[in-house]
Order: sequence, then structure tokens, then C-alpha cells
Amino acid sequence: MASKVDLEFAREVATSEEFNAWACMNCGVCTAVCPLGIALMPRKLFRHTVLGLKDEVLEQRDAIFQCLLCRLCQENCTADVHIAENVRFLRSYIDREVFGLDADPAERKDQYALAHR
Amino acid sequence: MNDRRLGVYICYCGGNISDYVDCEQVREAVAGEPNVEVAKTTMFACSDATQQEIIDDIQGLDLDGIVVASCSPTLHLMTFRGVAERAGLNPYQYVQVNLREQCSWAHTDLPALASEKAVAMVRAGIAKARYTEPLQKTRIETVPRVLVVGAGITGLRAALALSDLGISVYVAEQQERAGGWVGGFGSMYPHDGQGRELIGSLLTEIERRDNITIYTSAELVEKSGNVGDFSTTLEVSGERITLNVGAIIVATGFDVYQPEAGEYGHGSADVITLPEFKQLVDEGEGPLEYRGKPVRSVAYVYCVGARCQSNGNGYCSRYCCNAAMHAALVAGRRSPGLVQYHLYRDIRTYGKFEKLFEQARREGSVFIKFTEQDPPRVERYNGGNRVTVKDVLTENRELELDTDLVVLITAMEPRINPTLSEVLKIPVGLDGFFKEIHPKLRPVETVIDGVFIAGAAQAPRNSAESAASALSAAAKSAALLKRGFVELEPLIATVDPDVCTWCDDCSTACPYEAIERTPYGDREVAIISEAVCKGCGACAPVCRVGAIDLRGSTDRQIKAMIDAMEVVHV
Repeated sequence: MASKVDLEFAREVATSEEFNAWACMNCGVCTAVCPLGIALMPRKLFRHTVLGLKDEVLEQRDAIFQCLLCRLCQENCTADVHIAENVRFLRSYIDREVFGLDADPAERKDQYALAHR
Repeated sequence: MNDRRLGVYICYCGGNISDYVDCEQVREAVAGEPNVEVAKTTMFACSDATQQEIIDDIQGLDLDGIVVASCSPTLHLMTFRGVAERAGLNPYQYVQVNLREQCSWAHTDLPALASEKAVAMVRAGIAKARYTEPLQKTRIETVPRVLVVGAGITGLRAALALSDLGISVYVAEQQERAGGWVGGFGSMYPHDGQGRELIGSLLTEIERRDNITIYTSAELVEKSGNVGDFSTTLEVSGERITLNVGAIIVATGFDVYQPEAGEYGHGSADVITLPEFKQLVDEGEGPLEYRGKPVRSVAYVYCVGARCQSNGNGYCSRYCCNAAMHAALVAGRRSPGLVQYHLYRDIRTYGKFEKLFEQARREGSVFIKFTEQDPPRVERYNGGNRVTVKDVLTENRELELDTDLVVLITAMEPRINPTLSEVLKIPVGLDGFFKEIHPKLRPVETVIDGVFIAGAAQAPRNSAESAASALSAAAKSAALLKRGFVELEPLIATVDPDVCTWCDDCSTACPYEAIERTPYGDREVAIISEAVCKGCGACAPVCRVGAIDLRGSTDRQIKAMIDAMEVVHV
């Protein structure tokens, strides 16, 4: 069964300054080190995201919210993908698209800054 | 036998020969041969001391031929020809016997038999030396002018380089204007320089030179003569012009692969090729539009017409990954938010161009890998095009992309020009590009002396690589012409006109078109152009009446060598 890409979703991902999975080379280290053993996380999920497979990303929202943001994957990433930030990007996208929570992007930025202080 | 006076020198090569071949035994075996005035062994025949000794022998013993049994002629043929020359002996009276590569190194396990073989080889060398003749190199005055065929970036760059060296240049361009592909391009990788400006600057500089003439709407239709002194005829807008030049540089560039109707949707609306897309991003400003509609998403299909396992072009076209990547970056800057999918088989942004790949990914391009066995499909769907592709990197998941535009990244192809190939007689490789003699050591020379190739006429190349090969061809042409004359090896084929019956077999066998027919008395016979013949020997064995002989390897010499080898055990 073919999956249709959502060009608008792809555009939002491509133009996002927060989502940077472009560097991912599909090595799979992130999946291997995930303490929760979420099979999808984050390699396949990010691939689906950059391809623009919106429906499939939204279907995986449980996995996206299960993530502990422990950043073990990020520390081990060979391509310096900001995995935790990418997960946050997807969470806020789902908040907005699925739950209708229009989180203020500025506030998100503040949280990001706080987390990195 | 005759009254020749020969000197024979058997080299130890510091053990390379003498460890396996008993050189003293060889010397004793041949010392008493007829015509051998002196036979010596030496540790290193190529040493200064031995060279001087040979010179002293030639002069003191009045020798008229020498044989050195040592290494391969590739290594020291010229050395010993020089020795002969310094002693006042014609250098073609020298014969080399390759005892090292063809005997001692080959038979390290059988020293006794190796010595026996060495005796036979040296005897054959002596037999050959009995029938050597003094030969003279042919000297041809060269014309300090070059014809460059093609006025693209390669031809123009070569013309300027030759002009810098004081050599006059004629440039023949088939099109109505000079400039080639690059002359039509806007921004080019890697530095975003404008192709039109690059060509403009070359043409401005050429206009300042009084030793460069450009003919447009011109075609090379005839060539005669030989290296250093060709007569060429151009047809310029129906008029014929004859130009006398010393060398020719072929810089006729490339064509772009034209997909067949239906190949990846080619022929459908909104399916275009890389040159068409390049024109789209080069022209105008602001967000991209195609046929009046905004372009908000693009799918690129790479390797169209290249790297085909079965039929089609087997080669990688080399420039297209970079050109596509660069065009995508320019497109992305013009249309912020442009969604770009690159459907590729392998990415080959080699060398410094890897940065383009990184930048394209960083700026939002998505890369989807497919295999040749399972290529993407492009079909009409819902008033637009639907691209269906299996993404190898996502478990072969089949994806459907409904993009506004599909761009086929088309390969470079050799420009088919039967007239030119016919006129110049330069070989074309299996891939259809003009072929050099040696890809590493003689990269711009062809088997036709004085005819050089450069740029994308020779292989897929980007413009920087083409310009580099243009300078290389210019340097080789200048090296040929600056000396003022060329000397041609006399070791070529000759025809005995009294024997020849002109059956045409030799001229068919000749790979260099060196043999023509000429009147002789009331008959016609074959005549060999001294400047064109390379002495390959292809004509000699096919001659029905034995009229052709190869200087330096005459029938008489070869027969004498065979007879000499038949000799007896030591």
C-alpha cells in the first residue's frame, strides 16, 4: 500500500528551524540505545517526518509522547541530530494539529532555552 | 653473409641477467660468429664507462653495427642509439636484445636452458644487425597555427591559451554564435558565477587579440596533410575556406540525453529535463513559475540515461548530481518553502562538491533512494503528475508524491557528428566519446598525430574540468608547434612499386589511413605517407605479392633471425 506524502507537512518540516533530521544517515544507533525500546524512535519516525508522511506521524503520537527526552540517543548520534528538539517539534505539531492547542512558539523557544541553560 | 663488422655486448645487469644466464658462456658461443669483430661482457652496459668503451670500439675497430643484449628496449633503446650516434654510427644500425625481461627473469628456475635460449636470442640479434640499414628521421616544418573545432568554454579557453603563447588560432563553431552550453547558463556551481558572464569575459578578451579568428556557422569538411602541416577546409555559411594549420583541437562538447516519450513521464505536461529546469531557475526573478502556475514542489529523478546496466549509457555522467543539487539550491532561494524530493540511485557530489549535497539537505531537500531494478513511475494523476517510488531507506516503502513539477536529471551524451569523425579519422570509444591514446599519460592526444581532443567531447566533464583539459590540449599543441619542426621515426612501411599491383588490401588494413593509390608508369600502386605511417606493420603481412616491407623489421631480417635461432645446443 503506497503512502501519500503531505506536501504541506513536508514544507513545514523543511522550513522549520527546530527540526534538523536532514543530517540523519539512518545508522540506527538512536534506536539501539533507547532505554524505553520504542522501536519506532526516533530513526523511522524522523524519516517519516522528513518524507512528509503526516498521517503516519500522527498515528505514532503515543510513541512521541512516551519519549523521556533523556537525550541518550542525541548524545550518541553520529550526525549531531538534535533529537530531543525534534521530538519537541513533533509534540507541539501534534498539540496544535490534533489537540487544537496553539502553543505560543515564543514560549516553546523559552523552554528550549531553559532546558539548555 | 656480408662484410658487416659488428660489436656484441652482453650485459650482466648487475646479476639480473647473470644470476640465471651464464653470460660468459653466451659470449664464447657468439664470439666466433661471422661478422662479429668483438664480443664482450659487461656488468652494466648502460654505465658511462661501458658506453665509452662501446664508442671506442666502434671507432677503433671501425664497426658498422652493434648489438647490446641487456634489458627491454623500452628502458635503454634510446640510450644505445645515442651511443651509436656519438660514435658517428647511424643509430638505426643498433640492435637491442632483451635478455632480462624475455630470458633471465622469465626462467629463474631453469638457468641452464636460460643460457641456451640467451645464445639463440643473441644470435638472432646478430642476424638482424647484419641487415640493418642507416636510416634518417624525416623532418617536417610545422605551421604555427591551430584550428580549434568548437567555441564552447573548452574551445575558447584553448584558443586564448594558444594566443598567449604566440600561436595563431582559428575557431570553427557550428552554431550561429560562440559560447556553447555555458554561454546559455546563469548561475553555475560551485561559486554561483554566471555562465553567460564567463563566456562574455572570454569573448571580450578574444576580441582584443589579433591572432584569434572565430568562424560561426562553420563546419570542418576536409582535412589533408599531416602533423605540423594540415590543410583544412571549413564550410562557413555555404562558403568554403581553406586554412593551413599545424595542429587541430577538437572541442565539440556534448549533447543531453533525450528521454524517450513516456520515459519517467517525459512528454507529459510538467515533466521537464535538467537543461529546461536550469533555464527556468536562471531566468526571471521571484518565486518559480512554470507555464503560468507557481511551483511549490519538485521531484527530481536522477541518473536518467546514465549508469544503465543493460542498454543505454553505462557511464556516470559526472556533472549531473552537482548541477541538480545546485539548481535545487537556487530554486529553493527563489521559492522559500519549495518542497524538493531528490529521487536518486547514488549521490556523486565528488570532491569539493560534497558541500552542495550537505547544503541541499540542510536547506530542506529530501533524498529518496531507489534502485535501477525498481525505478520510480511518473503518471498523470488528477490533472498533475504522480510520482511513485520505493524508498530503499524506509524499508522499501512505496511513496506517492504529487509534485507540481518533475525534473529528469538527464545525462551527458556524446555529440554525434559523423562528418567530423569521418574527416579527422580520430577514434570514438564504445561509449561514443572521442578517445585519447592513454587516459593518464597522454590524455589529450589521439592516435592521429597533431589532432588533440579536449572537454566534454572526450568524456562527461563539468566546465572546470573541460577548461583544464583545454589548457592541456593547448600546451600539447604548442609543444608540438613551438619547436618549428617535427622529426618522424623512419621505422615505417615501404612499398616496392615495381612489385605492387594495387589490390587495396594494405590500405584496408591500415588503421591510420596512411596508404593511398598513386599512378606509377601506366599502372597504379600503393604509396605510403611517411608522416602518417606509424610503422605498426599491419599492411606488410596482408600484401599478396610481398611488395611491402617494414623498415627496421624487414622480411629479410626476420627470416635471418628465425634461421639464427634454429641453432644447436651450447
